[in-house]
Amino acid sequence: MLRESNNTIGTTFDMTDVTGGVSGETDIPHADLLSAFAEAVYYRDGPLIGEIQTEIRQILGDAAFVDCAAVAAAFHGFVRVADATGIPYEGAGGGTDTADLRSEVGIDQFYRIAGE
Amino acid sequence: MTINYPQSDLSIRDDLIGAQARFWEHLAAPGTWLSGAERIAIAAEARGVRNCDFCKIQKDALSPNSIQDTHQSSTDLAPNMVEVIHRIVSDPGRLTEAWVRGVVDSGISDGAYVETVGLIATAMVMDTFAAGIGHDDVPLPAPAAGEPSRYTSSGAKRAAAWVPITEPEDITEEDGDLYPGRSAYIQRALSSVPDTKRGYWDLAVANYLPAEHMPNFDTDFRAISRNQIELIAARTSALHGCAY
Repeated sequence: MLRESNNTIGTTFDMTDVTGGVSGETDIPHADLLSAFAEAVYYRDGPLIGEIQTEIRQILGDAAFVDCAAVAAAFHGFVRVADATGIPYEGAGGGTDTADLRSEVGIDQFYRIAGE
Repeated sequence: MTINYPQSDLSIRDDLIGAQARFWEHLAAPGTWLSGAERIAIAAEARGVRNCDFCKIQKDALSPNSIQDTHQSSTDLAPNMVEVIHRIVSDPGRLTEAWVRGVVDSGISDGAYVETVGLIATAMVMDTFAAGIGHDDVPLPAPAAGEPSRYTSSGAKRAAAWVPITEPEDITEEDGDLYPGRSAYIQRALSSVPDTKRGYWDLAVANYLPAEHMPNFDTDFRAISRNQIELIAARTSALHGCAY
């Protein structure tokens, strides 16, 4: 979905940063901040969440911050539905997540695929 | 039922608050295989995983099956249910089909397992949102009385996934509208327990995107752009080690 949205909107993003964290060049606005927020929420790092909240609200506004929190929360649910039911990962991203993409990003090193 | 975040000065959009309130009602009510009290206990146990030392050790282990110990439970749920909740919450990326089969063999039916997965996932959405805005957990609702419906989707079969799925071509009138908008595998995952599937997706789309907007990458439906949404989504999924 990330690759498709970048292709449609015309932005660039190094897909390996999905697994490693944003480090390369990208023109997704505030990608490093949003990635850092996703990481802080994943680790439930309260103080860091508070710092990043302040920054996102200052830069993008309150409504944008609410949507950042909502999306991060949504994917704490999606991953559990997918991984606890064992749905085929080959269909992810509307079928656009190819084996080549999984290899490029490092997803094929994840436990479920690496163990097959 | 009303959802409030008194520790935050954020104005949260009405549709999201509405979906959260509907989920709290859904959670408290008798489900398909579980009572209201059992469903609330599952949400409480999911919160308790944060304080389970064994879950931390197991997550750090090279293989989750390489060590054996007992989870620190915060409810009176049976040990096999506690194992389900703790593993799905703490280390979902390393679940396997053999583990799911073991759960069913331990006496939790396919239907009860799917219902539990849906409730855990939805409760995680609620609790992670609260954490994301720097707020404490929203108090759990009181369970409602009544019996589970024990509805079985007659078209459900185990083929594509580790759990039975009701494929779009196998839906019956009694199942209701299982696939409004899209039927990707993530939408099919909970389909064998329609009530659970609908409860989960009602909140999921309010957090992420309505199904009809998912394929529209050039439409900004939220206050952040679509590629910003997908960046948070992809990074969150990768951190969990989710292959989907």
